[in-house]
Amino acid sequence: MTTSQQIPAPGAEMEHYVRGGEFDPKSVEKLTPEQEKVYLASQLRLMWWKFKKHKLAVWSGVFLLLLYGSILISEFLAPYGLNNRHVDFIHAPAQSIHLFHDGEFVGPFVYGMSYKLNMENLKREYTVNKTQVQKLRFFCRGESYRFWGIWKNNLHLVCPAKNGTFFLHGTDRLGRDVLSRMIYGARISLTIGLLGITISFLLGISIGGIAGYYGGMADMFIQRIIEVLQSIPSVPLWLALAAIMPVTWSPIIVYFGITIILGLIDWTGLARAVRSKLLALREEDYVLAAQLMGARPSRIIGRHLVPGFMSHLIATATITIPTMILGETALSFLGLGLRAPITSWGVLLTEAQNINAVALYPWLLFPVVPVIMVILAFNFLGDGLRDAADPYK
Amino acid sequence: MRVFNKVLIAAAMLAAIVSTQTTVSQAAEYTGPPSLLDEEMAGKMPGVSERLPKNPRVVNLKAMGRKPGKHGGTMRMLIGKIKDIKLIPIYGYARLVGYNEKFELKPDILEKVDVKEGRIFTFYLRKGHKWSDGHPFTSEDFRYAWNDMLTDKKLGRSGLRPNLQVDGKGPVFEVIDETTVRYTWHAPNPQFLPALAAPIPIYLAMPAHYLKQFHKTYQTKEKLAKLLVKNRVKKWYKLHKRMAREKKASNPDLPTLSPWVNTTPLPADLFVFERNAYFHRVDENGNQLPYFDRITMSVGTGSLIPAKVGAGDADLQARNLNFVDYTHLKSSEKRSKYKVLLWKSGKGSAVTLLPNLNVKDPLWRKTLRDVRFRRALSMGIDRHEINQIMFYGLARESGDSMLPQSPLYKEKYQKAWAEHDTKQANLFLDEMGLIKRDEDGYRLFPNGNRVEIIVETAGESTLQSDILELIQDQWHAIGVKLIIRGSQRDVMRRRAISGLAVMTIWNGLDNAVASPQMSPSELVPSSQSDLQWPQWGMYVSSKGEKGEKPDLAPVVEMLKSAKRWSKAATTQEKTKAWQEILEIYSDNVFSIGIVNGALQPVVVKNNIVNVPKEAIYAYSPTAYFGVYMPDTFWQSKPLTK
Amino acid sequence: MFAYIIRRILIMIPTLVMISVLIFTIMEWPPGNYFDTYIAELEAQGEAADLQEIEELRKEHGFDKPPIGRYFHWAFGLLQGDMGYSFEYELPVNEVVGSRMWLTLLVSFVSIFFTWIFAFPIGIYSATHQYSWGDYGLTFVGLLGLATPNFLLALIFMYFANIWFGVSIGGLMDPEFKNQAMSWAKFVSILEHLWIPVIIIGTAGTAGMIRRLRANLLDELQKQYVTTAKAKGLHPFKALTKYPLRMSLNFFISDIGSLLPAMISGAEVTAIVLSLETTGPLLIRALKAQDMYLAGSFLMVLASFTVLGVLISDIALALLDPRIRLQGGSTK
Repeated sequence: MTTSQQIPAPGAEMEHYVRGGEFDPKSVEKLTPEQEKVYLASQLRLMWWKFKKHKLAVWSGVFLLLLYGSILISEFLAPYGLNNRHVDFIHAPAQSIHLFHDGEFVGPFVYGMSYKLNMENLKREYTVNKTQVQKLRFFCRGESYRFWGIWKNNLHLVCPAKNGTFFLHGTDRLGRDVLSRMIYGARISLTIGLLGITISFLLGISIGGIAGYYGGMADMFIQRIIEVLQSIPSVPLWLALAAIMPVTWSPIIVYFGITIILGLIDWTGLARAVRSKLLALREEDYVLAAQLMGARPSRIIGRHLVPGFMSHLIATATITIPTMILGETALSFLGLGLRAPITSWGVLLTEAQNINAVALYPWLLFPVVPVIMVILAFNFLGDGLRDAADPYK
Repeated sequence: MRVFNKVLIAAAMLAAIVSTQTTVSQAAEYTGPPSLLDEEMAGKMPGVSERLPKNPRVVNLKAMGRKPGKHGGTMRMLIGKIKDIKLIPIYGYARLVGYNEKFELKPDILEKVDVKEGRIFTFYLRKGHKWSDGHPFTSEDFRYAWNDMLTDKKLGRSGLRPNLQVDGKGPVFEVIDETTVRYTWHAPNPQFLPALAAPIPIYLAMPAHYLKQFHKTYQTKEKLAKLLVKNRVKKWYKLHKRMAREKKASNPDLPTLSPWVNTTPLPADLFVFERNAYFHRVDENGNQLPYFDRITMSVGTGSLIPAKVGAGDADLQARNLNFVDYTHLKSSEKRSKYKVLLWKSGKGSAVTLLPNLNVKDPLWRKTLRDVRFRRALSMGIDRHEINQIMFYGLARESGDSMLPQSPLYKEKYQKAWAEHDTKQANLFLDEMGLIKRDEDGYRLFPNGNRVEIIVETAGESTLQSDILELIQDQWHAIGVKLIIRGSQRDVMRRRAISGLAVMTIWNGLDNAVASPQMSPSELVPSSQSDLQWPQWGMYVSSKGEKGEKPDLAPVVEMLKSAKRWSKAATTQEKTKAWQEILEIYSDNVFSIGIVNGALQPVVVKNNIVNVPKEAIYAYSPTAYFGVYMPDTFWQSKPLTK
Repeated sequence: MFAYIIRRILIMIPTLVMISVLIFTIMEWPPGNYFDTYIAELEAQGEAADLQEIEELRKEHGFDKPPIGRYFHWAFGLLQGDMGYSFEYELPVNEVVGSRMWLTLLVSFVSIFFTWIFAFPIGIYSATHQYSWGDYGLTFVGLLGLATPNFLLALIFMYFANIWFGVSIGGLMDPEFKNQAMSWAKFVSILEHLWIPVIIIGTAGTAGMIRRLRANLLDELQKQYVTTAKAKGLHPFKALTKYPLRMSLNFFISDIGSLLPAMISGAEVTAIVLSLETTGPLLIRALKAQDMYLAGSFLMVLASFTVLGVLISDIALALLDPRIRLQGGSTK
């Protein structure tokens, strides 16, 4: 009501307002096209929209995708091979990339290094030689490698200048480029988490499913098992299991052994979650309907119940992957996980685990950065997924 | 206090003049450490002249080029596991006979040793020598050790050690008088004295007065039963064994002749070794040794020790320090007030490749036994590159052989088949018929398999795996593929013994500064722990009952020479036997050495005097610090923190 | 209430039995045993092993019989408080572990305490100031602690603590105090050294706890009764603490069950790196040497602690939360 309107005198005529056009009884309730989309959207789409809101999670997801994608082309990305040694550049410090030299734009390059052995304290001293400009080459031909161990090739994303060096993160005690080893190490470290989580997943869903669906004795028994496994502190258990692995196994088998160990111990959390969700959900009407229609329990669990909280599971799983990566790192450090010549971030960190690295060659500790970043990324991603998992909230 | 001491000394002098003449005694006046004066005052301990034997061993420091010192101080050391406290009896190096810095055998605890025909050994003890608890040290202790321990039915069950036997027979032991004993064999036993001078010696004398309480023959049944219950052991000989573990320093109550005595029972994190008030050595000024009052050993994680030493937590340390730690240790010198010395390792080679001549696989058996193969592998190694990368060029490129400090050294042993000559190596391998190569350049056996050697490591040393990686590349040039298999020490050994392992990597010869007096057993098959011929070694140590009989001609020759050594009576004969063995060994490349004379960092705090600046660091024969007499190290003044 | 406690304790027993079987199986699995390792080690040092003595030791501890006998021998021993015999140290395990045990507990409990003290206010702040810079910042820092491998932090911390503050490297106390009885000075020394391991071990747990507290609290804060309370004019602080916080406290206590093993594990690795006088370094050496009783008994003790911890937390939870008492089950 507009305040400018005067209240008419009693008995006086009032203004009429009649709207022309058609009368649509549903006009108030009619949805705009955008709103309609929301209500008609499938569950997945809703989840995606909610997920997108969580910027940090989205960026983490992108980051992880890139990282996992890089595994496929490690040979191409790494400037050097995994085991290329440079005997003249042992324990060389990190070289920084410059763009401008003497005020002129030259393009990405590094300065050359000259090496001198200090006989007093037997320290390898490197001095940056500001006159030597070594331009980096891109999409160049460098050290040859076997792509995925099969095809011989030598195309690299970035290479050092001819007769030059490019050690973005320095070199280790045999003169191997730390950056290249990190890139190759990603292959092992990242996939161990994935494999482990797959094993965990399968075990968790099946065992938790049985416990939750059938209840009763099965449930009690499985609960005890879960309790048992959760009670033994994980690190000592890992140690014990890893100490069991015959030392004579080839590194690949050891790798799989470790993933299995990590997966075997970790499924309990998932199983617990599945179980509690199932316990709640199995009272739902649609389960009753399915049972009445004669569906087998496995179908009920797999087709009806699980998808209801799959998103939750994925979120939980995503948060568990970092535990696996850390677990592999810890095991390798203790000498019970992977060992040279297999290179993972854990193995790289083990080689840096001494006073000499911390005090004299700190660039050897660099592999800890991708570890931290991946773990953070997985955590954020998991957070976003979990928030998005229940879009009807 | 000082006055009383002087009175005691005066009394001792009088007594010395009045009593029978003693033999050589450069100083009749002795000075004990001030730390014991209180106890002397309280009458709990006799004066120093009574504590010392009538004729103590005089160590002339000036003649050794060292400075005589003063008493006092605590030496702190770090160890990585509790078992390492056994190092103190090794460092202390109080032996019946011991090596001096020139590796000559000299009597230490004993006053004199008479050797006739190389087979009759008469030991003369020092009169008045006492155990660390004050009880007299006499021939009874030898008798007890011999009759009631080494040849006792239960305690000596596993029989006499090989170096106490000649042709399978032990000696005849006699007690001549209170301070004289004699061991007589029917034939010369050149291993006897070196065995007494070893880092872990044969203990021919044990404190009878203490150990009798644990022995069935001397103790009443009831008391023994009580002791068994108290110590939770079921059998008396087990208890006796546990209490008598001199070499482990684990029983604080066990009297000893070492310069320092453990006072801390196991388990603990800090072990304190106090001076032995009755130690038998003095310096030329009459000061009773050792100078240091106390040694402490702190137990921690081994890998942390370089960091702790850098922070100044140790006064004298070599154990658990490696060459790679040198730079960090050196950079902390000023801050933590110490000096880093570089001693030379006494090993025949820092690491050595050991082809398993007893491997089960017939193809590898044939190949490894072919001397051309071993020579080729050795010549395919670029020792210069390895020296440069791993040792900054400071080590010496060599086969697994003697160091120049050994009187048996010959340059040709060092260089035998150790030059980097890929052409010759390739020629040998071609000669052997391994001509075919695959697409990566690796040779193939006639049956088509790649010539692929799996080298197994004990997984304990990055030095070994690093060197293997370098060799991997070098052997590519001669067409041999090297695969590194990390393992564990005991698994690796088991696989070598059972013939499953083709090649292993381990340390080189333990004693590469050998003199002809020392046993050449390292170079010939002698036990199943010889990784290059475990079955032959087992055969020799079990006297033919187990294992395989050595059937490779050069090995049989070496064994014959070793036998000749064990019967040799003169130094000439011994030297000849040694050289025969060294000749055959290096020419046949039974182990592939890389470099020796590698450098070992030794950290010494600035206020500790008499530690040699340069020396050989080895277990055998120098007992790490032992031969250099840590009892003569002393502390000049406390360091300001 | 009473019945609930009894039930819980009864259930604990089969759990413990199963744990012991599992641990025993793991210990027995690797081929070979301590004696083979011991012989190999002796030979490596050039000493002859007294094979007969080792045979006798083998017989005495039942290694020539099937494993079942050994299991019962060990299990019954454990029930009597006898953790068996350590071959490596040649001492009863009780003596070997002895003094280190209480230090381990000290480190673990102080870490848990530290975790609580930090997680609590930070979690509350995060929940009440959701999506603010403070929230993101604190979460990030917490996660950072979670993400960095313990052992790496340990070494770096230690080195810089030594250079900047002169704290001696490694160990829980200055070397002089190692064998001495507890004294004020020793206690102070332990405190000085304690903070490094506690921070390292605690940060991982703190991050997780913050996030869980935040999530739980957020869930509660969205419930209708909170809106009602606010609408009725209750002071925001009271609205926070009187109801939602109490609900979230539940989870704090129930979390001990998972926190305890995590603390002890994290403590193990850190202890190894920092060379603490706790049981971590003992355990890994025992595992590598196959010192069966030492490793097995020790794992058993750790597991028992955890089970006990869970029991206590369940009981505490029941005391706190009437729903559990009445329904007879935890809301985990």
